[in-house]
Amino acid sequence: MDLEILIENVLNALTAGITIGCIYGLMCIGLGLIFGIMRIVNFAQGELLMLGMFASFYLVSEGRVLSVLGLYWGPFIGAMLAGPMIFIAGALLHRFIVSRVSGLRTVGSLDEGHFGQLVVTLGISLILQNGGQILFGSTPVAVRTPLSSEAFLIGPVYQGATVFLNKAKLVAFFVAVLAAVVLYLTLEYTRLGKALRAAADNPTAATYMGIDVDRSYRIAFGLGCGITAVAGGLMATYISFGPFVGFDYVIIMYSGVVLGGMGSIFGAFWGGVTVGFVQQFSALILPPQLQNAAIFVVFLMIVLLRPQGLFGRSAERA
Amino acid sequence: MLEVKNLSVAYGGLRALADVTLSVAERQFVTLVGPNGAGKSTLFKTISGIVPPVSGTISFAGESLLGRRPSERAHLGIAHVPEGRQVFKTLTVRENLEMGAYPKAGRAHWTQTLDRIHTLFPILAERAGQLAGTLSGGEQQMLAIGRGLAGAPRLLMLDEPSMGLAPTVADTIFERISQIHREDGVTILLVEQRVAEALERSDHGYVLETGHIVLEGRYETLLADDRVRRSYLGLTEEA
Amino acid sequence: MRHGAGPLLRWNVMVLAVVVVAYLLLAFFVTNSYYQLILTLVPVWALFGVSWNILSGYGGQLSFGHASFFGIGAYTVTLAVVYWSLSPWLGIPLGMVLGGVAAIAIGLPTFRLRGHYFALSMLAYPLAILYVMQYLGFQEVSMPMHRDNALAFMEFDEPRIYTLIAVLLLVGGVVVSLIIENSRFGLALLAIRQNELAAEAAGINARREKMRSLVVSGMMGAAAGGFYARVLLVVTPDSVFGMLVSAQAVVVTLFGGVASVWGPVIGAAILIPLAETLQAELGTYLPGIQGVVYGVAIIAVMLLSPDGLFWTIRDRWFRREAPQAIPNLEPVPQPARRPSAHSAGPLLQVEKVSRAFGGLRAVSEVSFSVAEGEILGIIGPNGAGKTTLFNVLNGVLDADQGSARLDGQPMLGKKTFEVCRMGVGRTFQVVRSFSRLPVLDNVIIGAYGAGLSDREAIAQAVRALHQVGLQDRSGVAAGQLTNKQLRLMELARALAGNPRLLLLDETLAGLGREECDEVLDVLGRLRVQGMTICIIEHTMHAMMRLADRFVVLDHGRVLATGPPRVVVEDHSVIEAYLGKKWLARHGA
Repeated sequence: MDLEILIENVLNALTAGITIGCIYGLMCIGLGLIFGIMRIVNFAQGELLMLGMFASFYLVSEGRVLSVLGLYWGPFIGAMLAGPMIFIAGALLHRFIVSRVSGLRTVGSLDEGHFGQLVVTLGISLILQNGGQILFGSTPVAVRTPLSSEAFLIGPVYQGATVFLNKAKLVAFFVAVLAAVVLYLTLEYTRLGKALRAAADNPTAATYMGIDVDRSYRIAFGLGCGITAVAGGLMATYISFGPFVGFDYVIIMYSGVVLGGMGSIFGAFWGGVTVGFVQQFSALILPPQLQNAAIFVVFLMIVLLRPQGLFGRSAERA
Repeated sequence: MLEVKNLSVAYGGLRALADVTLSVAERQFVTLVGPNGAGKSTLFKTISGIVPPVSGTISFAGESLLGRRPSERAHLGIAHVPEGRQVFKTLTVRENLEMGAYPKAGRAHWTQTLDRIHTLFPILAERAGQLAGTLSGGEQQMLAIGRGLAGAPRLLMLDEPSMGLAPTVADTIFERISQIHREDGVTILLVEQRVAEALERSDHGYVLETGHIVLEGRYETLLADDRVRRSYLGLTEEA
Repeated sequence: MRHGAGPLLRWNVMVLAVVVVAYLLLAFFVTNSYYQLILTLVPVWALFGVSWNILSGYGGQLSFGHASFFGIGAYTVTLAVVYWSLSPWLGIPLGMVLGGVAAIAIGLPTFRLRGHYFALSMLAYPLAILYVMQYLGFQEVSMPMHRDNALAFMEFDEPRIYTLIAVLLLVGGVVVSLIIENSRFGLALLAIRQNELAAEAAGINARREKMRSLVVSGMMGAAAGGFYARVLLVVTPDSVFGMLVSAQAVVVTLFGGVASVWGPVIGAAILIPLAETLQAELGTYLPGIQGVVYGVAIIAVMLLSPDGLFWTIRDRWFRREAPQAIPNLEPVPQPARRPSAHSAGPLLQVEKVSRAFGGLRAVSEVSFSVAEGEILGIIGPNGAGKTTLFNVLNGVLDADQGSARLDGQPMLGKKTFEVCRMGVGRTFQVVRSFSRLPVLDNVIIGAYGAGLSDREAIAQAVRALHQVGLQDRSGVAAGQLTNKQLRLMELARALAGNPRLLLLDETLAGLGREECDEVLDVLGRLRVQGMTICIIEHTMHAMMRLADRFVVLDHGRVLATGPPRVVVEDHSVIEAYLGKKWLARHGA
């Protein structure tokens, strides 16, 4: 009987780890893309996640513009539509604020502009968090879908041990993997993607090739924001959230990016998956309040012991 | 084709170029030589727009470059093969060439130029899928030149292509550059330290020393002039 | 205390006294209890900003996790009252001790990281503690009252007394900060912020100085947190370990002026009342307006005046005419050279030193020696490995093999600051100066690094300025020097450590003919005084006149060694510089 419960718990942690982990992975790619291409640590990434959730919420909730899409499809289409919306928001943020303290203009300045760039994104984060409170109120909301209370049951696999697959999470998982694959193909095989990678690799040489590096950075920042926002929209189908929700996930994003090796865009995806697993399995042995602390401990250990990340060789640009 | 007039540049508070005048005609092969720190790379960076000039003008094909953004200049037909090669290390060899073909002209002629690049540097075809960072120094230099050619440029600017290379490899590189000039009719502006190798292939040469053009002339004249060696080795007599 | 700090310090103390009196007068006339609370909180947040400024402002180690210390102070004071009935009068000092201990525990691993990694890791500490506190059940801890023994438990009916205590705490913090700003410790921190490598090359043990700044900062942060808990009487993990707490320190300091003691004070005095008032007036309609104001404030400051209000105002309106030269500075005579242990042998003996980067052999089996009093020119084409050789010699890079001895003592394997203290001075290709500090302070860093006392350090720095001919510019801010003067100042900084050997990296780069000649004269005078110099330089005409001997490097190997006139006729050298075709044409 003990074995039965154990097996059931482990299998459920495993499936939840995979589904949630891949959604985290998508979320981490956003931050990883921004860091990998521009070497910007974006403190406001959690708030962009939050904006993604609210964008989806305001698009598809009952009585809103796209509520005609229904409760089954609507929330997931909303999540996907949050991407382009937050892409534009991110590109504007970059154009008017972030680009002034980062990029080519800070090369060679004292500390290469770390100070300015970290502090400015911290400022953006404060504005979005608190501005969000003014705009959206602080009562938690959720994008309702009946799927979040339905599950596929697999099993019993061993005596009574059964695996529960939450349908909302499962659909979110598929959308997340699809979005990650599309992004991967874009970066790997399109002209735009290659130009972004070239601008990341060597901005000066990229300029010699005729690539507009400022524009590439703007697109990359927008993409990073949009990707995280899609993940936010997906998460909105199974959690409730308020303007301060970004805070709970920002460390997960940093952990994922660091685990994946800072600078490696798809390393960040696997980093996010790993965090999902750590979180789900730590739930088996640790009280709920300590789950986040466990992520921090893993994060600190990785940073201190293996700064190049679990999945990367040294990614720091010379 | 390229006209630089009375150009002065200050770089990080230091005066790098003073009143430099230089011109490159269509299909010409012009070499700029001079000791380390003379300002040769700064001149290239100014032409490419990475460094702003203090005064003077630069025009390309009759049009002033100074109002053009750095990234537009490649599209006009200027290819810059930078000092130290600067290939995209995390991209494959093929992707590097594709990035070279980013300018419109490069895209239009992509298949021909790629064939041509592979004929000139067969190793680049063999290594197409390899990351550029894993190539040897000589191969990276070939890639950098190939990447420059991929844009189907009208003017190819090469900054010290022999730097850090073994003499035999450097010879191959020089041979290929001559070939590109002769067979493809590309205008060449070459910056080099290896004076004789560079000058003997060119139509016209300039000697740059501490930001000034101190000598210019046809290559036979310069090669015969011992002032070049004196300038390199610090033997110039004090005024 | 540093030289010349006297008048400036007196001025600062006067300002402090005036501000304190004015503030207390203001507090005396305020009766509204909410405004009284704001008046108490302003000095608390200012103190926390001062604390952050010591680590991140002076030392440049960006921390987004200062709430660790604030929270430790707050919880220590609160829990001490709850569990041990320990008075806050003792709880605050206890919190400071724990804050210092936490600083060591955090610093030991975290200072291995730099830049982004350091900033990110610091962020994780307070958040980890936050969750642990929630887990331990310290969700919301109230401080019990001890009416019977109010005074002993820091309980006053008169709220203005809290304002007084807060102001006194802040005065303490400001005084500590002023002392640091005017001490060799502060100067070392500034040097590290500017360029850690150059600071190490000037003999500063960067790791130790950073650790000291974190401990001071942590203790001060804990004091602020501890008193905050006493004033508010209740602590929650979010209110003392939360992100907003860390942000508060960053915001008030950056807004007011980073790396100035007045920055956090100005920032807190403007932002805290503004945000609190907005919150009180508009909070019901616009919840979170406080955070929006902070966010807008720091973005505006970063875009418009990146160093903060204090510096912008000072640079614009209070640029006092500094004297060209600081008066009453007399040079000391040249100190006796350290006796040489092997006076017969060469001063520097380099044998078969190699260093590779991946497959590239940047320095390959390089051997040469430098006699006492000699000027050795190291020349060679770009990428020949010259700067790498210097980096290996002074401990910036490890050698793969080989040995180097200074007067018989092994140099390789030592840390950069240790090599400096052995008597090796170094300059860099890119000059990094402290543009707002006077020339003399820029030079003194070199003397401090060598471990001299304050008095000796001033004397040495003044002597070094005389040696390079900058004695008449000692009072000028370094930012106003010409390129040539900056180069000379950097040379003086290296000389101030009284080195036996100077490693100069492209000291003449970017200088015109005449300027170049002036620097050459200075180097010539140093030679007459018996200084030993290794110099990397591309300006060949200068090198021909300056050097006694050349070592020519190409592809990391020694190509030739000998007197300049001989070396430049050497075929292999001509080939390296001009190519073998040239040699074939002109050779022999």
